[in-house]
This record gives sequence, structure tokens and C-alpha cells, in this order.
Amino acid sequence: MTYRLQKAAVLGSGVMGSGIACHLANIGMEVLMLDIIPFDINDKDKNNPVVRNSIVNGALKNALKSKPAALYEKGFANKIRTGNFEDDFEKIAEADWIIEVVVERLDIKQQIFEKVEKYRKPGSLVTSNTSSIPIRMLVEGRSDDFKKHFCGTHFFNPPRYMRLLEVIPHEASDPGVIDFFMEFGDEVLGKQTVLCKDTPAFIANRIGVMSGVKMIELTEKYDMRIEEVDSITGPLIARPNTATYKLQDLVGIDTSDKVNQFVVETVDGDEYIDTLKGKAAPDFMKFLIDNKFFGRKSGKGFYERTRKKDDNGKTIINALNLKTLEYEPSIKPRLAAVGTARKIEVFSKRLSHLVDGGERENKFLKEYFAALFAYAANRVPEISDEIYPVDDAMRSGYMWEYGPFEYWDLLGIDKGIEIAESCGESIPDWVKALPGKGINTFYKLEDGKKKYYDLASESYKSVPSLEGFIILDAIRSKAPIVKNSECTVHDIGDGVMCVEFTSKSNAIGEGIGQGIQQAISKAEEEGWNGVVIGNNAKNFTVGANLMNVGMLAMKKEFDTLNQMVDGFQQLNMYIKTSKVPVVMATQGYVFGGGCEMSMHANSGIYAAESYIGLVEVGVGLLPGGGGTKEMAVRASDKFFEGDVKMPTLIENFRTIATGTVSTSAYEAFGHGYLLKEKDFVSANTPRNIAQAKEKVLEMADHFVAPTPRHDIEVLGRAGMAALYAAINEFRLGEYMSDYDVEIARKIAYVLCGGDLTSNQQVSEQYLLDIEREGFLSLLGNQKTQERIQYLLMNNKPLRN
Amino acid sequence: MEAYIVTGYRSAVAKAKKGGFKNYRSDDLAVEVIKHLMSTVPDLDPKLVDDVIIGCANPEGEQGLQIGRMVSARALGKEVPGITINRYCASGLEAISIAVGKIKAGFGHVYIAGGTETMSLIPMTGYKLSPSYNAVMENINYTVSMGATAEAVARKYEITREEADAFSLGSHQKAAAAIDGGLFKDEIVPITVNNVFVKNGKRIESSHIVDTDEGVRRDTTLEGLARLRPAFKNGGVVTAGNSSQTSDGAAFTLVMSEEMVKKLNLEPVARLAACAVGGVDPLYMGIGPCVAIPKALAQAGMSLNDIEQIELNEAFATQALSVIKEAKLNPEIVNLNGGAIALGHPLGCTGAKLTIQLLNEMRRRDQRYGMVTACVGGGQGIAGIFERLN
Repeated sequence: MTYRLQKAAVLGSGVMGSGIACHLANIGMEVLMLDIIPFDINDKDKNNPVVRNSIVNGALKNALKSKPAALYEKGFANKIRTGNFEDDFEKIAEADWIIEVVVERLDIKQQIFEKVEKYRKPGSLVTSNTSSIPIRMLVEGRSDDFKKHFCGTHFFNPPRYMRLLEVIPHEASDPGVIDFFMEFGDEVLGKQTVLCKDTPAFIANRIGVMSGVKMIELTEKYDMRIEEVDSITGPLIARPNTATYKLQDLVGIDTSDKVNQFVVETVDGDEYIDTLKGKAAPDFMKFLIDNKFFGRKSGKGFYERTRKKDDNGKTIINALNLKTLEYEPSIKPRLAAVGTARKIEVFSKRLSHLVDGGERENKFLKEYFAALFAYAANRVPEISDEIYPVDDAMRSGYMWEYGPFEYWDLLGIDKGIEIAESCGESIPDWVKALPGKGINTFYKLEDGKKKYYDLASESYKSVPSLEGFIILDAIRSKAPIVKNSECTVHDIGDGVMCVEFTSKSNAIGEGIGQGIQQAISKAEEEGWNGVVIGNNAKNFTVGANLMNVGMLAMKKEFDTLNQMVDGFQQLNMYIKTSKVPVVMATQGYVFGGGCEMSMHANSGIYAAESYIGLVEVGVGLLPGGGGTKEMAVRASDKFFEGDVKMPTLIENFRTIATGTVSTSAYEAFGHGYLLKEKDFVSANTPRNIAQAKEKVLEMADHFVAPTPRHDIEVLGRAGMAALYAAINEFRLGEYMSDYDVEIARKIAYVLCGGDLTSNQQVSEQYLLDIEREGFLSLLGNQKTQERIQYLLMNNKPLRN
Repeated sequence: MEAYIVTGYRSAVAKAKKGGFKNYRSDDLAVEVIKHLMSTVPDLDPKLVDDVIIGCANPEGEQGLQIGRMVSARALGKEVPGITINRYCASGLEAISIAVGKIKAGFGHVYIAGGTETMSLIPMTGYKLSPSYNAVMENINYTVSMGATAEAVARKYEITREEADAFSLGSHQKAAAAIDGGLFKDEIVPITVNNVFVKNGKRIESSHIVDTDEGVRRDTTLEGLARLRPAFKNGGVVTAGNSSQTSDGAAFTLVMSEEMVKKLNLEPVARLAACAVGGVDPLYMGIGPCVAIPKALAQAGMSLNDIEQIELNEAFATQALSVIKEAKLNPEIVNLNGGAIALGHPLGCTGAKLTIQLLNEMRRRDQRYGMVTACVGGGQGIAGIFERLN
């Protein structure tokens, strides 16, 4: 059964409730969000709707202000209506999906569901975002229809950004409903859906609790400072910067303590959790909780941000000394093992090195991973029949780059068993038997698919959650069509190629240019359907290879630079005008040259989490690969008979001159980087290449390639005068330096087609020529070279 | 022949984009104010009006199509002509000065002069910002924004953030006291605004009356003002709190020759003794009054000491303070009932509105000479000296 969800009701407007409401609005649903009326409402305000709705409206307001933004685009807020439980509950009758996000108390939730049952329309889906209460208890006393359409849907905070969605059926859930949420959550909400059992804390938090508590145990055992633990449990082991204790502060020490207690109280027969029952928490945990030092929200927790600054003007951060229970200035730990491990770039080798060494930090990590492997292995099939949901959950819910079984694979199953057993952990027999069967990894890549070891059938099976994805790693074993130091061109089936960037930070250099050139011309000559430009990296690209450009400029090799810039312009024009469709698939940073490439592509599937921008001004340049030209084209295309034109021109100028970066792909339409008629947004990042391939196939049949244009209306001097006047305001306001003014005037010159004495129509090539001229003249300026050098050395822009 | 100001009325000044006139056109507003003015002089046949002179700073869009003519025909009949004039923020006073000049030249006997402006419906820089390329290449500051000039004068005349905020607070306090004391009540024409809107899918009609200036913030404090961020410059001193407000409003005076006054047996309230304009560097446009004031005083053969009260348009607190400092004005006699920071600044209307306010306050204080002065975008100043008659 397919459910068509159009309207949702979100019951409860706390941080999670309003975050979920915003994300449902992001994907186009109409949302009704309800919450209680204030407890302390007085007689005077009893009938005042403003006061009655003050909780829900206050919460929504906070959500709309939150950073990073909860909505893809501000205007989506219009999709959210608000109300209260007393006056507006009957409106949930319109909802196709009702999601409960009220306080974690069984009695309150049950009351809510009793009311939901009274007003919901039959067949509507009802779910709970509970993180801890068993789903089966929530439906006690409810009708069969209610039970059938009910399950848990557990989002992680913040809902727009955290990719995990745990779907938890109870016994009477209709399997069709569960299948629907697994698919809808993935394809429409853009989440990594993970099917969970109705076990305490489900999957991610169950493993997360063990991991967090173990870290604290080991901190005490090895007598480590919190800064030291954070230095070895963050990026060093492929986890976020927040590592261990910074994460506690971020989540809230009270919150994680509640989850810990809940798990300890409700879980039985869990070899690790059982050891925690009745065990007193360490003194420092009691200290933090008794004093309500819960972390960031209380001003201090494990760390404390002071108001004082050090000699370099940096805010002094204090760290809790776990022994004295006093805050003291945090230290930069210099652990011997960290220094050597950091230099090992191949992560499997680094991990192996880390768990082998003899320092106490090595022992810490060895024991941690030993415990993690054992715990995860022993939880299958208790919390999940298969292994991949455990890895999926930890990756998408805790932002680990590897789940427990994937870490294990990096070392090999045999070595993992050895480590675990040497630390006194017990590994279940089914795992111990694997090396004997010649199986030393839980996963393998085969026939372009990622396969997992299935415990029940004792064989490898395809990971079903990845169907419909194109994972470039999985097809790497096939001979590539083109491969050079910067990119690989893959055959992704059905006559479609994919150009994958492989350079550092995916920076665009000559190799990528050649790869794209070769792919497209091969496609044209051999009758391929088209080309996708996309990769699976965190960031699509940071832009052109600045190092190379900067070096050539400093050596004053302007002929070479002219050829190079011309080459990039022509590449982008080729992308636009080649006889086969070229479709982008992006995520993360789509900066500079990457943005210009996108502007020229025939279409694109942009992950909603694409941060797109022409950022060249930051290094003293103007977009020189056709980006400035394209902004002139887009302004011209917006002009209409009788239009005053100037506001459109100023808008496009401002976008380039301030290096505007969109905070979502949706926002990029407003900036003029994306166009409604050719570009599309996908909520699900990992699906973008597969969707781009679909787009190529859809376009290929009747594709008529655009030809270079000669009808671009530019405003000449009239436009320049307006833009110069606008630039003057930035200068007077000291938002721009004198050199910024020079750069901005060059941008204005190109956008206006130069100092023409009247409006005229010009060609794309004319604009490209003056754009290139402007780019090169800026590049020849000492100040631009200083900016480039500074950025490369310090990774932050220089204002000169 | 001498020219007299017989009477004058204004609308309340509403906050642009959120106030009572946010959807109300400035030509409609002018028609209502002029009709009311005429009703107070029942012996004057509208057909005797020689011309309607309307100051308007952005005469385009809703204020385009010759707003002067549109208003004259609708308010007084198709026989009565109308003209639109523009000297930005000086327009309203300039209109009065033109009327006086025409009467003195013998070109006519009866003029309606003032100004009207909607800042709700027309963008500050008009719909199309398009300065001359040649002008921009000659001097980039010809088209400088007003906020930037307010920062420029603050720097040049060393006005601090604290001084500007204190001035702003004073403006709000004086304006609140004036409104509470009912001082503007008699000069304001209450305007009924009819609204038609859709609520819950239904067409609803309603109306509201605008009869009180809307800009005053009674809860303003120095601490509150100090918290605002600079609006125009990184680390600057000019904020939304110490700048004039954008507003909607209309104000008109009846200017008549001595002959006609006698014929109709009217008692004029004042005469415009002198009016001068002058130019300054556009980047320091705020200082414009400093060149206009001495010129006007010289015309009238007077000294600053003779002036008993001054309405100095508060484009910005930094600007007003710079003028007070540089022109050596006595702050005790400036803007006795608050200024544009609290009461609003409907560009083309302001000069006429300040004239009406000044004359009424001079009557209450039984003063003889008063002055209206304002700076003008593009680098100009205006000063008009009024003599009150008994």
C-alpha cells in the first residue's frame, strides 16, 4: 500500500518537535504543529489566542532562528501552522501523518494518543518520536486500526541535518506501514532509515550509551584528562571534532545521563549493561549533575567558555580537572601516539597502528574498540537481525565515519577478535567461526554492490538500504573509462558515464578538465546517453586549484594562465553546448569553479545540503570560468519589456561581489546559481548520482543541445554607474577595502558588458573575453597574489 | 506685494510600511488634507486658487503622472492647475517659498503650497537607480546614500554615538510630551482609511482613522538605543534609533496676496520673511543648513539672535548635532516638540509640516521670528524665516 502524505500534524513543539515540523515543511508537506497552552495562564488572558498559543509560537520562532538553519529556505515557514492541544486538536483530522513529540512520559503520551484516536481520520499514519519508551506500551488501549497504522519514527537532533531515522514497528504494526516509512524516510525525507526492534533505546542510542560510558570508564582507568580523551576520540579515529566530552556538553550531560539511566534500568541480560547496575557514577559526573553544569546550555559542563581572552585574542576555554573538580585553562595535549598516527593517511593503517602501540593512549583505544566490537557483535540479533543497520545507525546518527563492524573490517575480523579477547571481552561464536571459513570482513564490494555477511543465512547479501544508490567505491574494481591524477570516469550503466573528482579537496585542475573533455567527446562520438559529473565525497569541490594558479601568477606566466583560463571557459561552454546532456550531482561545497560548472551544465541534481557559491572575491578574483558571464546571461534572461532592469543587475552583482554562498540548494535558486527550469533538488544526498543518471536518461532521448548565444542584453555605462554608486556605499561603510572596490568594479564592468554607451546585445564569447581579461588583470595584482598565498597558508581569507 | 500664510494643515505622520497609511496613496492623502484646509476658509472659492504647488521627493509610480495636477483637479476642480516640485527633503518648504515668490512677482494671488509623500509605496531611491556614468566618474559621491553622509558628518564634526543617542532620546521625550499635551491636535486632519481585505477566504471591509503621529517610542531608553547596531558603517555611530524614520504624510498651507487677504477679510498667521538655499559637498549634505541659514538671515537683515525658535529637520542625530554645533544654534530653541527622529520624515512633505508645527508653537509662545531649516540629499540646505503676525 502506498500512502500519499500531504499534511502532517506534529504534536509537541520542543526542539525536536519544531525541528521535525521544519523538516517536513522542507520536503513540501503542510504542517500543523500543536502544543500545550501555558500552565500559568491567568484569567485575563484565558481567551487570548496569542497567549494560548504562546508556547508553540515561541518554539517555532526559536526554531526559525536556530543555526544552522532548520529550513532549507525561509519562505518554507509558510507551510507551518500552529495551534494548541485544547482549541485545535480536532484539526489533526486533516493530517495524513500524525507524529507525537511530547515529553518522554508514558502517561502523557498515552493521553495524547487517546485524543489522537478520537480525532484522526481512519487510515492516517500515527508515529511517536520517543527515544526510549517501548512502542508496544504506547498503543495499549488503542483500536486495531490505530495499532495497525502506528510505529516509532525516531529522528535525531537537528532533524534537517542528522541523517538517521530509526523506524520501530511493534507487533501489530502493518508491515506495509513499516515498508512505507523505510522508503519514504529515505527517498523523500532524505534520511538513512534504519529498521529497529522494539528494544530499549533502539539501535543508535543503545550502542551510543555503551560507547559513552566506556569512554568515561577508560578515562578514569588510564588517568586521562578530558582534553586528552577528546584528542584521541575525534577526527583521529574518523569521528567528529566533538569527540567524547565536547559531545556530552553539546548534547547536555543531563540528557545523556537520563538515557544512560534508562538503559541501565530497562535492559536485562546485556553483558555490559549488567555490570553497570547498582554501580555508582564517578564523582565528576555527580559533581556536574548536582551543580547543574549540563554543558553548553548551562554555560559549563566538561568545558567552560570563559569571557577572557588570551594574548592572541582567542577566548580561553577551561576544562574540568576530573580529580580536583576545578576548572582550569584547557591544555593542548601532546600525546606521543597521536603525533605519529596523524601522519598515517590511510585510515585502516592508522587504526591498526593506534591499537597496537604501547602508550596509555594506545591501550585506551585498544580497550575501547575491543569493547565496541564485542558489544556490537553480541547485540546481533538482539537489537537487529543484520549487522548493517548497526553501522548505518552509528554513521548517520552519531556521525561516525565507520560503524562498529566497519571499524572491525579495517583491522580484519581475526585481528579484531584477537584484540577483543586479549582485553577480556567475549566475542560470540558466530563471529569467531568466520575466519575459519575464510571470511575476514563483514562487508565486501562485489558486482558494483556493497554486500554484508548475513548471520541467518551464513552468506553475503546485498545491503538493501543501498538499492537505488550509485556508490562509486563499489564499481572501482571495474576498469575505468578514463583515469588520471585528478579524476576517474566510470561507466555507471545504461550508456551513462560519471566523472568523479579524486583530487585533494576535489580541487579542479587540468586533470579534471581533461577527464570531462574526454568523457563528453567519447559520449558524443560513441553514442552514449550522456555524462554525470558527481562524486561521493563530503564536498563536491572547493573550486579551482588555487595553488597552481597562484604559483603561475607569481612567476608571471600570464600566457600560460591565459590559456588555462580560456581552457576552463571553453570546457564549461563545452559542458553547456555538447551534443549529449551533462548533468551535475552535487553535495556539500560547490564553490567557485564547481559552481561555474554547475551553472553551465544542462541540468543538475543538487543534494539539498549543497552549499553553492561564487566565492572568488575572497581571493581577490572574479569568477573567470564563465561564472560572471553566466550571471550577466541570467540577468538578461530576466529582463522583460518595460523592465527597469537595474534591480536585477544589482542583485546578481551583489551575489558575486560579496561571495554569497547558499546555505541549501533551495536557497541557490534565489541567488541565481540554480535555475528552476533545469536544476532539481534531492533531499537524499547519497542518491544524487543515481538520480542524475536518471535525469540523463530522461533527457537523452530528445536532447537538443543549446548553442552559444549572441542575444545577451547588457547595460553598459548605465549599469556600471549604478553599480559603481552601490560599490561606493560599501566602501564608505568600510565593508570593503580600496582593493575590494577595485575587484568589485571589475565585476561590474564584466556584468555590464564593459563601458558601452547604451544597452546592447552581445555574445557569450564577448563576455567570456572581457571576463578573462578582468580575471587576469586581478591575478597580476600583488594584492590578489597575497590573498591567494594567505588563504593557502592559513585557510582563511585575507582582507587587504 | 506682500504674501501671507493664511493657514495650514497636515495629516498625522504614519510609520512607513507598518503604519496607518501603509496602503494609502499620497495623492489621496493630499486631496483630503487640501479639502479640509479649504473647508476652514469657507469664503474662498476654490476656483480662485491660482496654482497648487506640491513638493514630492520621489514623483514616480504612485506619485508619478504629475501628482500636482492629479491632486489639484481632484481637490479643487479641474479648473485649478497643479505643479509638482522636487528639492528632496526641502520640497515642502520650497513649495511655500515659490508661492510667496509668485505672489510677490504679481503672478497670482492664491496658492496652495506644501508637500506629500508615501515612503510605504515607493522605494527610497525610486524604482530605478540610474545615475549618470559621467557624473559618477566625476564625483562618486553625487549619489551617496543618506546614511553614509550621516556617518561622514559624524566623523568630520566629531559627534559621538553617546551624543547622537542622547539627542534621539530627547527627540522622543519632547515629541511624546507634545502629543500627550495635545499640541498637534488642531493642526492634524483626521483621515479615515478604508480597507478591503480577505480574511479566511472572505472579503471584509473595515476602516480606521489616522489622527495621531505614530513614530514616538515612549519606551525608548539610552540603554536600548545603545544596543542597536550601526546601520550604515562597520563600527559606525548611526543606527536606526538615531536616524529619522521613514514615514507617510501630507501638509499644505494657504498662501495669499495682501490684496486677497483684505478682500476676503482673513487674518493671516505669518509671512515668509526670507528663504534661502545653498549647496555643499554631497558627502556632507547634512551640513547644508550651515550655508542656507546665513544667507536667509542676510536676506532678512537679521542675526541669529533674532530667531526665537527653530525647526531643524532631524534627518539624523549626527547631522542635526553637527548643524547645531557648526551654525552655533542655541539648542534650547531647536525642535521644542521633538523632530523627525521621533515624529517621522515624509520627505517631500516635511518642509511644510515643520512650517505648520513651527507657526503653531510660535503662537503658543507668542514669538515673532522662527526658522525652518533642513539639509537636502545631493548636498544642499534650505532655511526659511517666518514672521508671525497678530
